[in-house]
Amino acid sequence: MAEAWWAVARSEEVTSAKPINVDIGNQPVVLWRDAQGIVRALEDRCPHRRTPLSLGCVLGNGMIQCGYHGWTYDGATGHLKDIPNLKSDVKFPPVYRAIPFAVSETGGFVRVCLDANAPAPLPAAVTLPLCGTVNVALDHEHYIAALFDDPSAVIGIRGVRFTPYLLAELAEHEGKLVLERSCQWAGLHWPSPFSSDFPITLRISTDPVTGECDLLLRDDGFHPLLSATLAPVPAARGVTQIRWRAKLSDNRPGMRAKLLGAGPPFFVRSNIDGAALRVLKPSASIHAATLRNEIAARTAAASAA
Amino acid sequence: MLDVKDAISADDYVDPITADPREFAAKVNAWVPHDIVLKDAWFPLAHSFAVTDKPVRRAIYSQPFFLWREGGTAVAAEFHPADADKPTKSHYSDDAARYPVIEKYGYVWCWFGDPANAAPEHIPSIPYLPEDGGLPLHMLGTVRFDCTAPLSLENLIDLTHADFLHADVVGDEKMDKETVEVFHDSETITMVRTCVNKSVAPIMKIFGGVKVDVQQVRQVIRIYLRSHAAIAYGRFSPGDNVQLFHPCVPETRDRTRLDYAINTTNVKKTNLFRYMMPKASYKVSRQDSYMTSPQSPRYMNPEKRKDLHSPLDEAGQKYRVLMLALAERQAQGDFAYRDNVSADCSQIIGYDGK
Repeated sequence: MAEAWWAVARSEEVTSAKPINVDIGNQPVVLWRDAQGIVRALEDRCPHRRTPLSLGCVLGNGMIQCGYHGWTYDGATGHLKDIPNLKSDVKFPPVYRAIPFAVSETGGFVRVCLDANAPAPLPAAVTLPLCGTVNVALDHEHYIAALFDDPSAVIGIRGVRFTPYLLAELAEHEGKLVLERSCQWAGLHWPSPFSSDFPITLRISTDPVTGECDLLLRDDGFHPLLSATLAPVPAARGVTQIRWRAKLSDNRPGMRAKLLGAGPPFFVRSNIDGAALRVLKPSASIHAATLRNEIAARTAAASAA
Repeated sequence: MLDVKDAISADDYVDPITADPREFAAKVNAWVPHDIVLKDAWFPLAHSFAVTDKPVRRAIYSQPFFLWREGGTAVAAEFHPADADKPTKSHYSDDAARYPVIEKYGYVWCWFGDPANAAPEHIPSIPYLPEDGGLPLHMLGTVRFDCTAPLSLENLIDLTHADFLHADVVGDEKMDKETVEVFHDSETITMVRTCVNKSVAPIMKIFGGVKVDVQQVRQVIRIYLRSHAAIAYGRFSPGDNVQLFHPCVPETRDRTRLDYAINTTNVKKTNLFRYMMPKASYKVSRQDSYMTSPQSPRYMNPEKRKDLHSPLDEAGQKYRVLMLALAERQAQGDFAYRDNVSADCSQIIGYDGK
């Protein structure tokens, strides 16, 4: 978890008007934009009296000020810069600091790495225009497993029905966990268990550590219809925070594909049906842990070499 | 041109069924069908009618197969012609990313394995399907199972399940006597079930014009192990014979595609059974799936607890051991066919051409 880059916010959510609080597991993080518009991330805890910095404010110079006693921190280093009531220019020793985290903003996501010295991730080629944020009362591991086993448990695509049938089971491709599921257009049709062919598929490519997924809906002519990125992040109390972005392709052959644009084409469920989830058969997800371990072992071996 | 490789000589072969009984039992209980991926086999990936000029997509163990026709001839490739982002080609296709293809029995068969080993002699014998296809469309269909293919076939070869799961279609367990015989070679397993005075299959009573309450039944299930394809041949007296081809294509290790053919051309055209029997697959497959779908995840990983067995499970047990033996041979680099799957099996299954 420490070395991963977690998409903890959408770019739109982070402003210089007010800091926000996010979690990476049990680590609270405060985010804001400084005077240059750069996103900063510190532990969401004032080292003075442990109050959340996110309850404070962003000053005109881009520093964050605790709302309790006004202690003021530089976002890049976390160093304490001011204690207003001292009314002096005293310099504070280096130990007076909040823990800073590495930040990268690309593709419309703000990503944070708990290791401040981590190398920045590769920049994204595009920023998908549709977006949203959802909090789900399901832990990160089970959330991703549900996405693998039945996407309809956690997401929806306008006019698309996910079938139980796979064209490619979960396997590693270039360091990602990838599967491809057959889909149908919603409405009256021959039942999926008796269908010879399906008109569309959903490819899910998942980061083995963060669970960040690239979704690609395409038709049987291999035309991309919808692209989406789903970024689930483990938060406090077993909650998973999901930020997502999506984009409809401009060229979508066929009436059903065109109707994807008749309303919001993609959504992430905020409420998960516990009764349905309980009986959801683990299948596509069942080897996910093994695959993750294999990738992690290989990555560790490569690092050691 | 049977492909017999010399990686391991034929003399080295030990029948896994007749070897050490304790080893046999150990293998039966080491059954993790999810881990079995057999190669060098033909798979019937599509009914012939389903392959047209427009590519259709199929899969074997997640390996993509795109099928279409060029000048009327079926071809299969690893990539969709419109896929601009072609990933690296696998070793299952030739330099042009094409797979070996044969059209026979009304199916387009594709080779999964080393293309150099593809040979028409490895296509299974299906005596009651016309070699050049042409069965009416109402005798063909597709059903799917979200379970691993070997479990679908283990389910099929254990016909005692039908008396309970499919009683409303094929009749219940009431009968005077039942015998099960099992035959095998290295590439096939054949189960013959003989029932004396068995309660009549409701589908035959309702649609087939069978008026009596009991019938004599001889059912044969023959599985071509590598191809995961089964033929199910039933003789019913009184009643019409049932001629089913039941190929379980492992689209992934946990999903099975079944493009079936039920040849009812032996039934009078005025008899509704001729038209209804092929449709029974829709009902029967959902009944099977009701059990095999939740069953499948429980066979994905090795378990310390052993399955319990009855004497009626002989065929299923042997199927497990033969599949594991094939997998072990392939793991050692032996992909040769030691027995000829294309030899006419009419006599073995008791098919007399009627």
